[in-house]
Amino acid sequence: MSTFFDPHQRATIAAAMARIIPTTGTPGATEAGAIDFLDGYLGGIDRIYAKPDGSGFETLSGRRADAWRRRIDSLRTTYVEGIVDLDQRSREAHGVPFVELDEPQQDAMLAAIERPGEEQKLNTAQAVMGFAPVEPALQQVGAEISLSFFALLALHTRQGFYADPIYGGNRGQVGWQTIGFPGPSSLAEVHTGRYTVIDYFADGTHEQEMDISRARDQA
Amino acid sequence: MPATKPERTDVCIIGAGASGAAAAKVLTERGFRVVALERGPWRTKETFGGDELANVNRYNLWPDPLLNPRTYRQSADEDAVVDLFCPVPQMVGGGTVHWQGWLPRFAPEDFRLHSVVGDLPGTSLVDWPISYDDLEPYYTQVEWAFGVSGLAGGNAFEGPRSKGYPCPPLPLSRYAQKFHQGARRLGWNAFPTPQAALSQPYNGRPATVISAFAQQHGDPTGTRSSALNVFVPDALATGRYGLRPESYVRELAVDASGRITAAVYQNEAGETFEQEADVFILACGAVESARLLLLSTSARFPNGLANGSDMVGRNVTFHEYSSAIGLFDDPVHGWAGGGYVSASSMQFYNHDDSRGFASGGHIASAGVGIPLPINWGLPDRPLWGPDAKAMDEQFFNHSMAVSIVVHDMPQHDNRVELDEEVVDAWDVPVARITLATHENDLAMGRFLIDRGADILAAAGARKTYKVYPERVTGNCSHQHGTARMGDDPEVSVLNKWCRAHEVRNLFVVDGSPFPTGTGANPTLTIMANAWRVAEYIADTHGQKGN
Repeated sequence: MSTFFDPHQRATIAAAMARIIPTTGTPGATEAGAIDFLDGYLGGIDRIYAKPDGSGFETLSGRRADAWRRRIDSLRTTYVEGIVDLDQRSREAHGVPFVELDEPQQDAMLAAIERPGEEQKLNTAQAVMGFAPVEPALQQVGAEISLSFFALLALHTRQGFYADPIYGGNRGQVGWQTIGFPGPSSLAEVHTGRYTVIDYFADGTHEQEMDISRARDQA
Repeated sequence: MPATKPERTDVCIIGAGASGAAAAKVLTERGFRVVALERGPWRTKETFGGDELANVNRYNLWPDPLLNPRTYRQSADEDAVVDLFCPVPQMVGGGTVHWQGWLPRFAPEDFRLHSVVGDLPGTSLVDWPISYDDLEPYYTQVEWAFGVSGLAGGNAFEGPRSKGYPCPPLPLSRYAQKFHQGARRLGWNAFPTPQAALSQPYNGRPATVISAFAQQHGDPTGTRSSALNVFVPDALATGRYGLRPESYVRELAVDASGRITAAVYQNEAGETFEQEADVFILACGAVESARLLLLSTSARFPNGLANGSDMVGRNVTFHEYSSAIGLFDDPVHGWAGGGYVSASSMQFYNHDDSRGFASGGHIASAGVGIPLPINWGLPDRPLWGPDAKAMDEQFFNHSMAVSIVVHDMPQHDNRVELDEEVVDAWDVPVARITLATHENDLAMGRFLIDRGADILAAAGARKTYKVYPERVTGNCSHQHGTARMGDDPEVSVLNKWCRAHEVRNLFVVDGSPFPTGTGANPTLTIMANAWRVAEYIADTHGQKGN
């Protein structure tokens, strides 16, 4: 697997991820390996889509591959520039790079690069539509490459915490366990139709909950 | 290099999604040879899986905005910005591949809304040239082809039906149960959302697996009902369906009399073909069908095919999806079943003068957002930090939405055109959307969101949120109106059989013909109407010379 970050970049992003989804009484981004998820994603276009049976990754070709190369290039630039900016701010404030700050200092530094308006729109849109297929409130070409550094980092930390473990994060399904999501043991379990969550439905039927006589009256 | 001409066929259908595949099934079963030109890939169920990251966040099935952009502006005096406005998967099966298939019927009133409401300033509200009764037999045909799971008589506001549903309702999700409980306490009618899934084995297909990966995921088991799983196999079984994926139609060529002679398309390798046929059916979705008509200019049609009236692309409507959200003490598991094995209400669907706005919309229970771990969220959840994590832990299993479909009003100046600057990855001008939101749309949105919050509160939610739509953003993948059907060629593109007034061998069967968008999920009606038109074509074009 190819990766992208140099050791300093990797340490910086890993430290920031540990503040975005911190280790509390339950595991956080560090235990989930969110940095491995992101470093692998930015490493090229060979880990974009897992094969649906979990046996590896799709090989992209043609226009689709071109689009993903452009997207990954754009994301790499955002990260490289974002890390430089974060270090510069940290040096100006405390005389050391971000990774050497203590946790409250790191939190303050991350808060300083947040764009609350953008993030509020993201939250609201996510609550209605998820992040897909686009972030309509931002009127951009696509959620991911149009995001600022911090919003992107927060999104990728979330993905590295909650995406299927085949992508390198959510190690041992710790992300799913912290929120009580009974995900499949593997992509293969879904692919073969063995994965069912019918146990999380209600007992009883629609008819038992409905007032059928009222339906007839109103009709 | 000259274009290759494949063998001439009876009918050429552009698009193999919901409407194109429905028309193909009907026509091939009536004995016609059909060639379908689909710009996207032909994927099989083996290529689908339970991968939230790929399917929801990485355009595995959605169009990639870097390849298929659109542009958008709110009025003609603004510069358009690049925006993937109202995307729909471009592939064999189209949007039905990744949907969860809410399939309500439109109400009888939808077909005569201008008569019901009267003139509404700023809108181009009209009656349809067909009635609910004209469509009813085809609703039944589609419901029985798909094996729709539902409860006949459950929706107190539904029109008369000639037949019940082929399958009983799907199992009861906890979020549907909450919806029923809230509606019942308020005295409002609620019913199981009719759904394109099988509650029991049907037509040789096993019952649908209740997975967490459904909405926005293709179905690896093939047990949900879609154009890909139902209509395409039916058409192929006749031996008369030539389905060509990765075939991008760039133009419909016409002769001096204004009749279409061929669909000009490119395959994946960039080779050009001219497919000749007696009849051409557009089924690309309302945005892309309008785009193709506008791309097809000629001496006979300098402003685009069938566009002498300047009506192609106008009156476009998209719906808007939004939610009231509730938090509950007991778990509701909004992700179970994919978040859309739901209960619905049409209590606020039909027009009521006392509400102060025209028409209304469908409301239904759902998960929050795309209710899976990455894409779940709450409006006041911080983006990061211990509080954000704590909210994930506390509310992921304890939150649900009541979601609404806003019936956005048609407006003459809301339209699809060709962008003058932006091209797609095939160097073809993209669709430019110009769309103002009418005050009626916003008033309806506020009203329906408030009713959703009422249901959540009545069901015992300890906290509710209201996300009022601020404008129509194209977030539904629903598209209508760009080639209105009507009796007057001055103000409509198609007649009531969805045949172009100006081009005798051209039909359009996606959402383009719909004069109004209605307040309900449109795909059942799109498929029923395509079925109706295909039967008409078979009835009339069986006689040569028509």
